[in-house]
Amino acid sequence: MFSLALKNILFYKGRSITTVLLTFVSAMLFVVYVSMMDGSHKSMLENSLKIYTGAIEIYKKEYRDVGGNEYLIKDVEKITKKLELINGVKSYTTRYETYGLLSSKENSSASMIAGVEALKESEHSSIQKALVSGKYLSDLSGNCLYMGDGLVKKLKISLNDELAFVGAASDDSFAADIFKLCGIFKTGSFGFDSTSSFVSRDYFDALMYADNKASYINIKVDNLEDVERIKADIQKALNDDTLEVLTWKTLMKTMVDAMEVDSIFGYISLALFLIVIFFVIMIYGFVNISSRIKEFGVLESIGLSNTNILKLLFYEIFILTSLAILIATPIAASITYYYTQNPIIIEGISEMYKDYGIVSDEIPFDFNPFTIIWNIGVIYLLNLISIIYPYLYIKSFSPIEASHHV
Amino acid sequence: MNRIFLVLVFLLSINLYANEMAEGLRAEDIIKKLDENMRGENISMTLSMKIVSQGHTRTMKMQSFSQGTKKSFTKILYPPKDRGITFLSLDNQMWQYIPKIERTIKIPPSMMLQNWMGSDITNDDMVKQSSIVEDYNPKILETKGRLVTIELLPKEEAAVVWGKIIINIDLDTYTSQKDVFYDEDGKEVRVFIYDKVQKIGNYYIPTLWRIESSEKKNRYTEILLEDVKYDTEISDAYFKKSALKRFSR
Repeated sequence: MFSLALKNILFYKGRSITTVLLTFVSAMLFVVYVSMMDGSHKSMLENSLKIYTGAIEIYKKEYRDVGGNEYLIKDVEKITKKLELINGVKSYTTRYETYGLLSSKENSSASMIAGVEALKESEHSSIQKALVSGKYLSDLSGNCLYMGDGLVKKLKISLNDELAFVGAASDDSFAADIFKLCGIFKTGSFGFDSTSSFVSRDYFDALMYADNKASYINIKVDNLEDVERIKADIQKALNDDTLEVLTWKTLMKTMVDAMEVDSIFGYISLALFLIVIFFVIMIYGFVNISSRIKEFGVLESIGLSNTNILKLLFYEIFILTSLAILIATPIAASITYYYTQNPIIIEGISEMYKDYGIVSDEIPFDFNPFTIIWNIGVIYLLNLISIIYPYLYIKSFSPIEASHHV
Repeated sequence: MNRIFLVLVFLLSINLYANEMAEGLRAEDIIKKLDENMRGENISMTLSMKIVSQGHTRTMKMQSFSQGTKKSFTKILYPPKDRGITFLSLDNQMWQYIPKIERTIKIPPSMMLQNWMGSDITNDDMVKQSSIVEDYNPKILETKGRLVTIELLPKEEAAVVWGKIIINIDLDTYTSQKDVFYDEDGKEVRVFIYDKVQKIGNYYIPTLWRIESSEKKNRYTEILLEDVKYDTEISDAYFKKSALKRFSR
């Protein structure tokens, strides 16, 4: 049956070439498009996670919804000791965040000011790498303030300028101090750079009466794929109903939702394209088979069963699809691999999409063999489905009717 | 028959319109009298503020001077850590002097909804940036004997922080018994409860205020007004920017 299928393919050259070409184009497009979509989503997520958000964060319940000093974590050491025992937790750092007023001689602005463990923070976020002038913090940097580029512009200050800080300490008492601008960072995230500033945790703790307190604990994991398991382990170890352990999926819900919506629209447009390809292949197959009804009638008359006819059609489409896939897969994989290593650069795209977490002009692809395999699988499946209707059409004829068909 | 019907409809319309006008004017008058009681021509007082949160209590004492609706000066007297911090509001702008860092800081409009000194009142309350007389349209919701409930909705052009305020006013003294504040989405944010009304000169004023946050349970602020004096001589020197540092000592 296989050799008969091969003979048919060679005999009906027009139909064969068209089917191979259409399958080749759809496979190429599918693999490359999905790789680009996954790559840009992965990049958005990684950039956002690198900037400041942790893979896992521990909060006092209500802190994120209501906020305020009532919902600070009060006994940080007790929690961090437990974290050290959990498999998969790479490192952790604590942050004390507050919102206060920063005031230069001329301007004032509300700002998020975070007391951070300078050394650990550099491993957990990209704020140190984002340094554009001055210097990053150290545990001994005292009243040095490390501020986002946007906020610096808003306050119209420059390095070594003094700033007054006014806010509420962790016990709600009044807190005020003079900070010195020691470093400026620019992560590329507009919202973050225009509202955030950092100070050494030790210094800030003394000012805010925040010793052994934290707004939350930021956790880095060995493998991002294991966050759910690690989250469950942390919850079990903490065994505290007043705390909530959140993964990046919750912490960055807006972004995750936006990515899901984007993926859905991406797949819908791709599906429309694939449906068109599917119908074209099916119609070509159908037209071809319609002209071969007499041939099938003769084959049935000499004893070929319906199952064998299905087998014949299956082999034909399988050989044609395999041929197209064999050519398309290495090419598509090479393209995705190349652009994973050398992302496409579109000048200005980060500026245009900064609100969506795009912090770079690069559009990276995601080379993932597993994704390529399932993409190819979908193409195979669609092509195989395309023989069902032509087969049912042949089956509707009796052998005599078919052998007399013109 | 039709003519009689038309005349009745006409008379009824006039009556409804007249009632509406009277009610509108009356609500405005009530709010105006309430506001006059709270401000007088000028007012000075000492305030004790008790902030209860996180299971502990913090107490503050302040001295305050106000002139009409546009000028006010406040100085922290207690605790010693915060003593000498001064606040000045002039024409809806607010400044703060902090002796510890020897700086005068202007509070930006974006921080008007921030809590003042960790209490449940906001910077806007301190400045009285939004005026219940000028910035809101009052409407009587209910009258029960001498107690009237008025709804205040912001005027279209008014730059205010509240979406709605419901005030329960005692018409014998023209003082509020309870104010409920709502945000722009109609969500209840906080409640002011007033007590211990005293007559001082020509004015009535509740001298005990309790402010409860609707979101944060087990947390409240109590303000006790002491040594309240209306319409006295308050030096203009209190309402200049130089006063912040000068009267801080």
